[in-house]
Amino acid sequence: MALEQLCDVVQRCQAIKDEGFSPEDYDLFFTAGRTCIEEGNSAQVLSILVDEKNKNIVRCMGWNLLGPLVQILLKKEDRNLPHCHAILSHLLEVCSPKELLVGLLEQVEEADTGSIAETVTLLLKPLQTALLRLGVKKASSVGMALSTLLSQVARLPVPVTKEQEEDDVFGLCHCCTALLQFVKPFVEEIKEVVKDNNKISKDNELRVELLKFCMKSLSKPLLEVQLKDPDTLLKSPLRDFATEILIILSSIGESLPDLLSRNVLKRREVPGFLEEEVRYPKESLACLSYLLFVDHIAVDIFPAVLSPIFVLQCNMEYIDLLLSRTEESRLQKGLELYEKSLNRVEDNNLPVDLLELKTFFSVPQNLVKVMTLCPDQTLRTKGLKVFQLSIDKFNTEAKYKFFKGMLKTSHHAGVEGYIIKNIKNQVDFSLRPCNGNDWFLGKHLLPLLRLVLCLPHGPETDLLQNLDRIMESLNLLRYMLIRDKEWENETGIWIELYKIEDNYLKPLRTGLNMSKAHYEAELKSAKENKKISSKDSKTSVCSVTVDNEKLPNMTPEMQIQVLQSAVFTFDLIESVLARIEEIIETKERPLL
Amino acid sequence: MMAADPERAWSEEQLKSEEVPKKDLIKFIQDNAAHSFLAEHKLLGNIKNVAKTAKKEQLLEAYEQLFESRRFKGSEMDVVTEQVQAAKISDAPKEAKMEPVDEGPPKFTKSVLKKGDKTNFPKKGDTVSCWYTGTLEDGSVFDSNVPATAKKKKQTKPLSFKVGMGKVIRGWDEGLLVMSKGETARLEIESEWAYGKKGLPDSKIPPNAKLIFEVELVSID
Repeated sequence: MALEQLCDVVQRCQAIKDEGFSPEDYDLFFTAGRTCIEEGNSAQVLSILVDEKNKNIVRCMGWNLLGPLVQILLKKEDRNLPHCHAILSHLLEVCSPKELLVGLLEQVEEADTGSIAETVTLLLKPLQTALLRLGVKKASSVGMALSTLLSQVARLPVPVTKEQEEDDVFGLCHCCTALLQFVKPFVEEIKEVVKDNNKISKDNELRVELLKFCMKSLSKPLLEVQLKDPDTLLKSPLRDFATEILIILSSIGESLPDLLSRNVLKRREVPGFLEEEVRYPKESLACLSYLLFVDHIAVDIFPAVLSPIFVLQCNMEYIDLLLSRTEESRLQKGLELYEKSLNRVEDNNLPVDLLELKTFFSVPQNLVKVMTLCPDQTLRTKGLKVFQLSIDKFNTEAKYKFFKGMLKTSHHAGVEGYIIKNIKNQVDFSLRPCNGNDWFLGKHLLPLLRLVLCLPHGPETDLLQNLDRIMESLNLLRYMLIRDKEWENETGIWIELYKIEDNYLKPLRTGLNMSKAHYEAELKSAKENKKISSKDSKTSVCSVTVDNEKLPNMTPEMQIQVLQSAVFTFDLIESVLARIEEIIETKERPLL
Repeated sequence: MMAADPERAWSEEQLKSEEVPKKDLIKFIQDNAAHSFLAEHKLLGNIKNVAKTAKKEQLLEAYEQLFESRRFKGSEMDVVTEQVQAAKISDAPKEAKMEPVDEGPPKFTKSVLKKGDKTNFPKKGDTVSCWYTGTLEDGSVFDSNVPATAKKKKQTKPLSFKVGMGKVIRGWDEGLLVMSKGETARLEIESEWAYGKKGLPDSKIPPNAKLIFEVELVSID
């Protein structure tokens, strides 16, 4: 039936001159053709389509059959395949490339998640054929095709383990490999232009589309992917994909070092400046940096002459971006990139003027957030490790400035405590022979100490909350009083001591006494309460609701535990405080 | 006119006889001894406190030592008190940026393989472009941007960067500044001006490696 209809409309149209076909003609052709294909009569459809007499008809109307054709091809029923493929090839030859593109890309766009990989695999070669037929005008179409293809491929789940990459159940690896093949002729074309002219215009349309493709790939899927090294997985399609993307960038005239340093080198405002920014999304560049320095992708095309400090400076922009995200995968990558960049620099080598740069302030801030707020413990631990590593790389003056800055801005007792411990290490280092410097001895040390040896709210300061900070500062003070003999006074502590006593030790002693008394009283009453209500020892003392869920009740036992541990904490502080008071008492103070 | 040494205040018998109170001894020594002497003998500070902790024998000994060593006030470079120091420092103007300390002789050598125009030398901040091949002392190539064939050279670009700005290893920054346009030179760079103790494991550069580059300075912008 449908076949007859098809023959009818084709015959009728043969007579129409100058391709003046009516919309009804198009509709009939499409409906009949579709049904024939769906019913398995592809052989007959093929013979109609290849008939010379029908050339014009096919050229105008043929591409509409792409939809049903692709659906049948995806079904992969053997009996139909050879003829359907032949139909497709014929259409690709005869129909208008622009219309073919529309039809093919529509199929790609409409593919549901389950069939993305298959559709892409099927249609890449046809798309390439159509695009190459466009000749010099292909650039924007290439761009459109690449964009559509990547958007779909990026939806595919990313393999996590090496087995998943090997199995490639969802087809991401296969698609990435196929995309590289797809893009090859266009890259070659650009390479030819470069060869012939010794250069290429930055605005060459095809080049720009390829650049956009690379940048987009770097963001999705490459930033998501965890590449496996060659020892873990010898043959990795994803690693090959990443490598090839970097090579393509290089081939189309994008110098990898220039890409990395984009955000660091000052740019003049040029016309189309915004366009420049859009062409080089920071997230893509962050992925590029990660691939180069952590995954060691394409190292052989990256020059080995850049100064490690400059590389760190460039990477700080990307580290900042990654560490300001909340997804753990981004944080992990940010920490790894930071660690790798720092490891290239020798200890004590980073100069103080680096701290003038915005990223050298914002990265530690972000790092502190990871160290203190990230729910994942491995990330918190790694964050701390990288934090210390960054401190170790600063030279003495930079360490000083960094500590001062952190003490003023971190507002977190744990971080402050950690910084104070570092200060102690620096003082210790500086007191050793030949290590003397202006920063952790005498002159500049005292202003820093004033930031350390103080109570944020005087005697009313919450000692428990500030425990880390208080303990470290007392340890530092005790250390200095023992280590620095008062007649040497290299640190200047002995002159400062009376001030420290007034501003810190005395209020601390006051606060400590108050807190201890208070908690001891609470403890006593809690114990008495417990005795009284010993029969209902499980009754709650207070209730706490979080997010509409009531937390388990705090029993009197638990309350006593908490109070007891508070009292122990105060004892701990007191023991160090008492020791310091003892040291001061027994040594002479230069009273002048 | 130099002040004469202070005279002994008490005779030996007086000192032996317990006549002299500790406090007087301490005051005398504090009044007459150099600061460093007092510090060493733990005689600094409030007289009452010193009296509490110092024994009579110690004080007598110190007294004797003072006259033997003649370490009187003004006889030694008195350590300026920290308080005065601190006062001075807080008034001091902000330190001017110091020029980098001269580190000694350059840590690279250059031998010219092909002469340049000898007139155009790059300045700091100029963008230079160069072809280069980098080898280790054993001859192995760790990096090069020179394509294998002359034909392919048209497809690749020489490395461009702003010279003298710390973007490349120091040996390059210093070496290129003394090359002229068109020159090809062999730069041998000590590890201190290359990748130092760390090396660059990713690029097969071991720690403390001396690097040898053949560099052609193509252009200066």
